[in-house]
Amino acid sequence: MKGRDLLDAQALRDFGGVALLAIVSLVAALVMNRFSAHPLPIVYQTPEQRFDAELTTLVSAPPFKIAPASTVRLREFRSAVESKSALILDARPSVFFEQGHVPGALNLARDDFARDYRRLSPRLKAATNKPIIVYCSGGECHDSRLVANALLTLGFSDVRVYTGGWEEWQGAGLPTTVGAAQ
Amino acid sequence: MTSRDNGHRDYTVLAVSLALAAIFVYAGIDKIGERQQFADNIAGFAILPTAFIDLFALTLPLFEIACGLLLLLPLTRRIGALAIALVSVMFFIALLSALLRGLTLDCGCFGVGAPSRSKMWLELGCRAVLFAGALFVYARARARCKRKEKKIWI
Repeated sequence: MKGRDLLDAQALRDFGGVALLAIVSLVAALVMNRFSAHPLPIVYQTPEQRFDAELTTLVSAPPFKIAPASTVRLREFRSAVESKSALILDARPSVFFEQGHVPGALNLARDDFARDYRRLSPRLKAATNKPIIVYCSGGECHDSRLVANALLTLGFSDVRVYTGGWEEWQGAGLPTTVGAAQ
Repeated sequence: MTSRDNGHRDYTVLAVSLALAAIFVYAGIDKIGERQQFADNIAGFAILPTAFIDLFALTLPLFEIACGLLLLLPLTRRIGALAIALVSVMFFIALLSALLRGLTLDCGCFGVGAPSRSKMWLELGCRAVLFAGALFVYARARARCKRKEKKIWI
């Protein structure tokens, strides 16, 4: 009887030891993760969520950190739009895009960059031989530069910014299109 | 009287313990270097809730290394062997469940690789062997402990 009691007590001690080992491992893992150069978030993120977060970070840099992207003026931009020799991207929020945009432009909004980039990714990748020209409202808007920089970081080599933006295009009385992004 | 009763080492237990320790320390170190990938592998099984995946991915490598190290010392061998047996059963059930659900995954048990069903079956077999080895070490270590306790009672 004593032997059986001993066996039960021993088994309990062993399982207790395993549980203690698991707790010590958990605490050590959390401490190591805390001081790791690339810590894992406590709650798991899918690869898609991580990519979205990475893309969002790309366009959230403050303006003073933006590298100077090459720019185009109205004449060059108009020529690219008319000849369809470049991929035109509108970096404004979708609500403004829907109210009016440059004909043939695609909406890659800075505000929804991750979502829009994933939506447009096949079309962007299919047009790698074409230059990309990004515009936003014009004037003091930084969205086009942020999006252009993000695209350069993502590996697109020929990305330019039309600094005059929607304001200049509309002001010049050039053709416009209304409607939602495709 | 057997050789063990004379206090001689049980070389079979020692050999199995060393092999298991080497495998689990290697597996743990390998997973520490690929924590994110390991977390993705765990997520692929679709068993654990999202809130626990990263905690599990962070903890298991250290747990495996600790198990391996505990196997090396006679005093802690029992706990190390039991822990390895439990981990092996856990992976076995997870792999079997994934195979039965028709999933094709990279188990992530021993490093990162391409998802493959044939590899999953192989890993399942490996887990069964590791479980048997760990159970053998645990049973022998328990028996040894029991003999010692009996001697005290006598």
